[in-house]
Amino acid sequence: MSDALIVAGTYVVVYGATIGYAVYLHRRRKKAEQPAGR
Amino acid sequence: MKRVQIMLLIAALALAAGALLAYSAPLDRLQGEFTRLLYVHVPTLWIAFLAFGLTALGSVMYLIRKKERWDRLAAGSAELGVLFSVVGVFTGMVWGQAVWGQAWDWSDARLATTAVMIFVYIGYLALRQATADPEKRARRSAILGTIAVVQVPLVYFSVNLWRTLHQTQSIRPDGTTMDPEMLVALLVNVGAFSLAFIALLMGRMLVTRLELVAGADTELAGDTVSPPRLSEIEDV
Repeated sequence: MSDALIVAGTYVVVYGATIGYAVYLHRRRKKAEQPAGR
Repeated sequence: MKRVQIMLLIAALALAAGALLAYSAPLDRLQGEFTRLLYVHVPTLWIAFLAFGLTALGSVMYLIRKKERWDRLAAGSAELGVLFSVVGVFTGMVWGQAVWGQAWDWSDARLATTAVMIFVYIGYLALRQATADPEKRARRSAILGTIAVVQVPLVYFSVNLWRTLHQTQSIRPDGTTMDPEMLVALLVNVGAFSLAFIALLMGRMLVTRLELVAGADTELAGDTVSPPRLSEIEDV
C-alpha cells in the first residue's frame, strides 16, 4: 500500500471518529427528546 | 440546540481548512508523506490534555459547589478526552510503524504513560456507569477526576524526564525548530480541533441535561420491581 493511501486512510479514521461521535450525540438527543414510554 | 449546530458548522469549516493546509505544507525529507500525520496527531492529543484538565476543573468545582452542571462538564470532557486520546494514539502508531519501524514500544516513557492515562479515564467512565445514584456517581467520579489529572503533566513532560524513543516537544518556550509553513498548518489544526472539541462538549452536556430531564419522568426498573424475599421463596 502506498504511503499516501495509508496517511489518507488515517485522516479518514480521525475525521470519521469526530463525525461519528457527533452523529451518536444527535441520536441520543433525539431519543431523549421523545416523550416517555415511546 | 442552535448554538451547538452553529459551533459544529464552524468547527467543520475549520477542520476542512486545517486538512487543506496539512496537504499543502512541505514534507519532511526523511518522513515523506507521514509528515502529514503530525497535523492530526498533535492536535488530538492536545485536546485530550485539555479535556482531562476540564474534567479536573469540573470535578473540583462539583466538590465545592455541588452543582450538577459541573459534573456534566467533567463527564462530557472525560468522554471526549478518551475519544481523542485513542484517536491520537492510533495516528501515532501509524506514524511509528512507518518512521520508527514499530507501532508500539512499552519501554518508551511517553507511550507507556499515555496508555496508563487512557486506562485510568476509561476506569473513570466505567465508575460512572457502575453507580446508579446521580449524587453518589457525581461525588465518586469527582474524586477520581481530581486525582487522575496528575497524569497529564506526567505524560507531557515524560519525554524530558526519561529520554527514550519519543522525540521531545517541537514547540518550546524558547522557540521552535519547525518550518514556518508547517508551524502554521499545525497551529490551524490545533485551533480547528479545539473548536470541534468545544462544539462536541456543548452537545454532550446538552444531551446529558435532556436525558436527566427525561429520566426524572420515568421510573427506573429498580424503583418499581421489588426483589423476591428469601422468606417468601421458602414458603412456596
